[in-house]
Amino acid sequence: MKIMLKTDKIKFSYGQQKVLKGIDLEIKTGSFIGIIGPNASGKSTLLKNMSKSLKSDSGAVYLDHKLLNDYNHLELAKKMAVVPQNTEVNFNFNVYDIIMMGRHPYQKRWSGVSQEDKEIAKEVMEVTDTLKLKRKLIKELSGGEKQRVIIARALAQRPDILLLDEPTSSLDINYQGEIYDLLNYLNQKFNLTIITVSHDLNLTAQYCEELLLLKDGRIFAAGTAAEVLTEQNIKAVYNAEVLIKRNPLSEKPFVTLIPEVNRIKKSRQKDFKIHIIAGGGTAKNWLYKLENLGYQLSIGVLNIGDADWQAAKELGIEIVEAPPFIDISEAEIKKNKKLIERADLIILSDLPFGHGNLANLKVLLDYPEKAKILFSNFDIKKRDYIKGKAEKIWNKLLEEAENIYLLEEKANLISKIKKLEN
Amino acid sequence: MGENKKNIFIYLAAVSFSILLIFLALFIGSSQINPADITAYLLNRSAVSASTAIIIGEIRLPRIILAFMVGAGLAVAGSVFQAIIRNPMVDPYIIGISAGAGTGVMLALFLGIEIAIFNFSSLPAFAFLGAVATVFTVYQLARVGNKLPVLTFLLAGVAMSFILNSLMSFLMVLRTENLQQLVYWLMGSLAGADWDDVRMITPYFLTALAVIVFYLKDLNILLLGEESAAHLGLNVERTKIILLGAASLMTAAVVSVSGSIGFIGLVVPHIARLIIGPDHRRLIPLAALFGASFLLIADTAARTIMAPMELPVGIITALAGGPYFIYLLRNKSKNIW
Repeated sequence: MKIMLKTDKIKFSYGQQKVLKGIDLEIKTGSFIGIIGPNASGKSTLLKNMSKSLKSDSGAVYLDHKLLNDYNHLELAKKMAVVPQNTEVNFNFNVYDIIMMGRHPYQKRWSGVSQEDKEIAKEVMEVTDTLKLKRKLIKELSGGEKQRVIIARALAQRPDILLLDEPTSSLDINYQGEIYDLLNYLNQKFNLTIITVSHDLNLTAQYCEELLLLKDGRIFAAGTAAEVLTEQNIKAVYNAEVLIKRNPLSEKPFVTLIPEVNRIKKSRQKDFKIHIIAGGGTAKNWLYKLENLGYQLSIGVLNIGDADWQAAKELGIEIVEAPPFIDISEAEIKKNKKLIERADLIILSDLPFGHGNLANLKVLLDYPEKAKILFSNFDIKKRDYIKGKAEKIWNKLLEEAENIYLLEEKANLISKIKKLEN
Repeated sequence: MGENKKNIFIYLAAVSFSILLIFLALFIGSSQINPADITAYLLNRSAVSASTAIIIGEIRLPRIILAFMVGAGLAVAGSVFQAIIRNPMVDPYIIGISAGAGTGVMLALFLGIEIAIFNFSSLPAFAFLGAVATVFTVYQLARVGNKLPVLTFLLAGVAMSFILNSLMSFLMVLRTENLQQLVYWLMGSLAGADWDDVRMITPYFLTALAVIVFYLKDLNILLLGEESAAHLGLNVERTKIILLGAASLMTAAVVSVSGSIGFIGLVVPHIARLIIGPDHRRLIPLAALFGASFLLIADTAARTIMAPMELPVGIITALAGGPYFIYLLRNKSKNIW
């Protein structure tokens, strides 16, 4: 595949401060690259070095196999278009005038607007859906419309490569997707090479084919979103605890910040351990509450990807996990038992039972001496999907009578726990 | 297209208004001249008495033409400065360029340097040197890193104006023989204008105007911001230097005959922009016509309000423009372009 842009060990400093410390890159024609990284990691500076806004201290940038510095202003403008971070327009041109300025590199000083200029302007307005805004003044537009006009102007330059610095940073969430959808379309339809700089990990991950994670002026990781956005990488670069989920539609990774509570909680934890048996999202609504009250929680066995599993993961609760769709294995039951043995209280949610998780119920029979709260708001018969097997165990459990507390009303859970705690 | 029709109408109105003003200004003055005589003079110069012919042809006419050029020049220079600095608060007077040009002229007069090359007076050249030196100094003073914050730019300009005005006052005190004339010049006045003045500034005026007209499209692109302009293929640094030079030359040319007349370069481009929009290809000609008309009205008032005494016209333009400047400052956050 053809290389559109290549950087060779570029370094750049603002005065004493070294911002880029040797960046080597090869960007193929038609790729859609997202540059991410924390503030001051050098993302925007890299983009500016690639677009000749800043001149590297050492190293070289090649655009289409020719040194960037060998392009004159007009040649470069025909090949590369840039949407800078600050596109604030302080004056009242109308949309058409602004877009027509994108034709500047092609126009002679005294020539008027040519037929070709008009056709291209119309075409880029159609692509960016700005045709209906043609006669509007730039100040009358919404943030998203304005950004589309700026992108239309960039397209009017007929570039081979488009660079965008934080194209959505000032936009509401609905416009953010709209802009990236447009970029995606341009990339697919016209094979336009696109490089964006963004601090929004998730937007970048959803749309860009390849990600480039910068840290302190160096490339920390590069590759597909799944390769770059890992918990370890984010921890190393941003020093943040995150959970990486998968977007169910696109299968792309999705970064969620784990709340700060997890790190504070250690200091105000109660000396009361609760083990929870749940699944299918039957616990997620109250897990957070218990967590906040300072109980030491553990949960298991949960299927990976289950709603309760995600909630527990986000809260940083200790989990015994198992792959979905197969029966819980002996090893997992063993782990689960360890947690149960440690616990002062066991809570069984109103989860449904099947072959896979029957072991979760059975295990309770081994601990007649432990206090147990059993959710009984939902008839066991109705959530038994294995022909009475679960019901049988349930009834056996109830025979103990001692140490069993049935919970009719979910809302009473906390007060029940508090009573047992004392 | 509706927009084009509207623009043609605006221009027709502006041109007719200017022509009307020129005639009006010819008829008004401290010495009473029969309008019939003026009409007769315009039709046939030898039809009126010699003194009337002198008043009209040697006093009023050159002054009207000079007022026209000075007003147009200041408005054009103001528009250009505003586009380069990307702020409508800027005009040659406020940022000290007028004072710089004035100091150049004063120094030349004081040192007795007056070299005529090919019949061109060198006075505007000295004004130009003063103006360029001032622009450069203010620009350097105001720059913070790579940026040019408007506030520091205005403050640096005001500070330079103070210094240069003091310098001019000092030079005046040293040369007391024609103090009143110098005071008038300092405040901005077209009193004593003659054809020599018109001849003196015309080549400089036209040179600057030609350069600016050549770069009209680039001014529009500069308005997008220097970064965007560069990405659209504009050699920003070179364009800025050329345009700053041309606007300084324009200012220098008119200041060397009129002294520092303030606020025309601020108010007029702004009003013209409100009427015809920010595209410099339409804006600059309209600003020139408006500036010319504005100064012609102000100057006619200056020579008639207290006739036979004359007011320095700079007083009138400052009285009209100062409040407008304050209004703009107050409305800064709103849509001032």
